[in-house]
Amino acid sequence: MAYKDLRAFLEKLEIEHQLVRVHDEVMPEPDIAAAGRAAPNIDNGPAVLFEKIKGYHNPAVVNVHGSWANHALMLGMPKNTTVKEQFLELDRRWSKFPVKPHWVSSGPVKEVVIKKEINLFEILPLFRVNQFDGGFYISKALVVTRDLDDYDNHNKQNVGTYRLQVKGKDLLGIQALPFHDIGIHLRKAEELNEPLPVAICIGNDPVLTFMASTPIAYDQSEYEFAGALRQEPVELTKSETGDLDIPAGAEIVLEGYIIPRVRSVEGPFGEFPGSYSGARLQAEIKIHTITHRIKPIFENLYLGIPWTEIDYLMALNTSIPLYRQIKESMPEVAAVNAMYTHGIGTIISTKSRFGGYGKAVAMRLLSTPHGMPYAKIIIVVDEFVDPFNLQQVMWALTTRVRPDKDVILIPNAPGMPLDPTSEPPGMSTKLIIDATTPVAPDVICRETELLATPPKAAEWEKIIRHLMELSNKGVDK
Amino acid sequence: MICPRCDSNTAEKLVDAPADKSWEVYICKTCWFSWRSTEDEAISNPALYDKKFKLDPSAIDKLLAIPPIPPLKKTP
Repeated sequence: MAYKDLRAFLEKLEIEHQLVRVHDEVMPEPDIAAAGRAAPNIDNGPAVLFEKIKGYHNPAVVNVHGSWANHALMLGMPKNTTVKEQFLELDRRWSKFPVKPHWVSSGPVKEVVIKKEINLFEILPLFRVNQFDGGFYISKALVVTRDLDDYDNHNKQNVGTYRLQVKGKDLLGIQALPFHDIGIHLRKAEELNEPLPVAICIGNDPVLTFMASTPIAYDQSEYEFAGALRQEPVELTKSETGDLDIPAGAEIVLEGYIIPRVRSVEGPFGEFPGSYSGARLQAEIKIHTITHRIKPIFENLYLGIPWTEIDYLMALNTSIPLYRQIKESMPEVAAVNAMYTHGIGTIISTKSRFGGYGKAVAMRLLSTPHGMPYAKIIIVVDEFVDPFNLQQVMWALTTRVRPDKDVILIPNAPGMPLDPTSEPPGMSTKLIIDATTPVAPDVICRETELLATPPKAAEWEKIIRHLMELSNKGVDK
Repeated sequence: MICPRCDSNTAEKLVDAPADKSWEVYICKTCWFSWRSTEDEAISNPALYDKKFKLDPSAIDKLLAIPPIPPLKKTP
């Protein structure tokens, strides 16, 4: 069953003990970011909802996606579902793309419409995310834009998450990198000196936020992918201006336009590798309309040194596209775990067709569009090793790697500039560790027989889990 | 008002706390740094702002523009 909106998901999280409410008044700084850091430090940490924030009217929530339990619940799966099971289920649903959205004439997001005297601080309980950020950031919104050359083409409409710095009551800075889809929309608008209409949707069904940070093709619709992943069409309505499609159940939508051919200081901002990206000259957005639900909830993202919420948010949505690209030519591949710093560290499990196959799989990863610059440390394990289970991966490293034969460096290859070890920025040496069991014609030094799992072990896992649940309920009494 | 980050005398009040005026937010019109009156002095005091994050106003024009502004397309 899909969640209609953020509120439906928060209700589910609360029932499953994966959301905590802070009733007491908190300060915008440092409390909200501190909680955003603290929650993912806790095993299966919860979402944290602040009901009362000093000086503000509305509540805020952080860490909505910030644990594997919350991630599983997002997919409608039991909260103790393993990461590998979530990966395989996502891959299965991926094949259902496209699921067309359902359009409605209005929705809860239109409960309040503001068209004059815009003041973002009236609606959004803004807070500083990291200490030396250049200002207050909106860090988890869906930014919706269209291609000015093909405005009615629904597939070329883009829904992405980009960092937004508040620079006035009605002014935002935006990071729109040239290789992002919004960068293409902005270039076309600026070539014509035209404003680019934009709708910034805050507080959404968690699957929409998940899709907005998934790298898909320029002419693939995030809304149609979200429909596939949530197994129901997304419900959309129209923005007040600009003919943009917005989620009918969003908490808040800011409407405006990117001012053409203007750049001003934006940043620094603490970024996903766990370090700041510096101040740059970036584009600006003028906001002229706000629509929102009554008592809207400001959903925002804290990101710090991994792991924090963003690492859960862009874990499997990086892994699935890489898995599909590699599997197309190497069907033996069983799973790809590309969730370490956006795939800078990647673990692949595969059956070996012949000797050296593990190394060939790693090199295939290095020739995918994302893997080429990002993947730097690649570990390949056997197909029966769960690449999401680091204890199993360590077992493979300790018992399967012959350091003289299975560890390879590829110097001076494409790199990811935000990786602080990339030298010069954009160049990296790649490390491949082949931890698969050698197969012919590779020389197998000593035959080893693997220990088998006792019969009924899976059954006993279920029994023990059930007994633990009963025991936990007893404690609650 | 002096900006804690770029030391320009171009900072001004942006807003009061909407619910109860319990704080103010200030913004610099030169480097667009913003801060809240209730934040730590290490953020709000120009003398205490971390030197690694200071911004020299004369360097702003030389910052990298992302994305670069493209040439105008000639209309037919």
